[in-house]
Amino acid sequence: MADILSETVLPEDLKKFEKIYHEQLYKNDVTPKAQFEYAWCLVRSKYPADIQKGIILLEELYKTHEEGQRDYLYYLAIGSARLKEYSKAMNYVRSFLTIEPGNQQVLSLQQTIKKKMEKEGLVGMAMAGGVVLAVGAIVGVGMAIANKAK
Amino acid sequence: MEEDILTTLKILIIGESGVGKSSLLLRFVEDNFDPEQTLTIGVDFKTKRMTIDGNTVKLAIWDTAGQERFRTLTPSYYRDAQGAILVFDVSSYSSFSKLEVWLNELETYSTKSNIVKMIIGNKIDVDRREVTREEAMRFARRHQTLYIEASAKTKDGVHVAFEELVHKIIQTPGLWENFGSDHIHVGVLENATQSGCASYCSLV
Repeated sequence: MADILSETVLPEDLKKFEKIYHEQLYKNDVTPKAQFEYAWCLVRSKYPADIQKGIILLEELYKTHEEGQRDYLYYLAIGSARLKEYSKAMNYVRSFLTIEPGNQQVLSLQQTIKKKMEKEGLVGMAMAGGVVLAVGAIVGVGMAIANKAK
Repeated sequence: MEEDILTTLKILIIGESGVGKSSLLLRFVEDNFDPEQTLTIGVDFKTKRMTIDGNTVKLAIWDTAGQERFRTLTPSYYRDAQGAILVFDVSSYSSFSKLEVWLNELETYSTKSNIVKMIIGNKIDVDRREVTREEAMRFARRHQTLYIEASAKTKDGVHVAFEELVHKIIQTPGLWENFGSDHIHVGVLENATQSGCASYCSLV
């Protein structure tokens, strides 16, 4: 079943934006735009090592470039989820939703991640991740509690 | 059930920022409207099943961000799309003038030469229109695209637009049937040839 997490980057796109990024890196003048475009390709790669690299680039951008923070947060969530680091992904989603609680795109990403976790029987793992979800460990029902998380 | 699905169609939504691309999609897929719809990040994706002329198809709809900052990356999503919806806001003439640019983008990056294009004039609930229906229709006819006026807010025209688009895709020979060769409906293909120039422009 296709979803936003299973979509992958075309190798030629990855190469193209990798080249731009490396050219700028060589000149010691990397723009946030080039770094983001390269990271966007990396987190959508088939290979975990690429995704990991994309996450590092996005984390760096998140700390240094305030203007694009919501974009970085969203793709950090996507990258983490694609690495099956679901509790990390859910934390990014939660941080996003504290700023924009009604964001449809992020709410739908949250649903997609939850579905993935249920399918992989990993609901319990995310519970270890968040304070709100710790309550859920007692109740034992993942879905109901996650809705309470802002 | 999966075996009842004729085919999966890839649909693309493009246009300037703030014209209502995500709102049209939200209305179509979830019959919902968010007055505080936020700016799309990169690309969003939703699926929906639809039955047209007795055939059930699955739509995989890619909703692209209109903001300039994402323009270098969004064209890679044009690949293999069978249908494209170009949205403008009837209360913003500049969003209408930019359609030419979006059509060029499509021309450059879409991989299917016979991709079905539809222009949607959104926000017809707004009082102060800047683009008349006549002008938009003329534009659509000149560029051989379908045209529909809609309001994601009031629901007007939204479902019809998607129906019309899917109907046209199914009727277009060679656009989708290679994908699941075990599902070819010969009757549909034979009828399709006559629709080539008859239905370029339709109104709600």
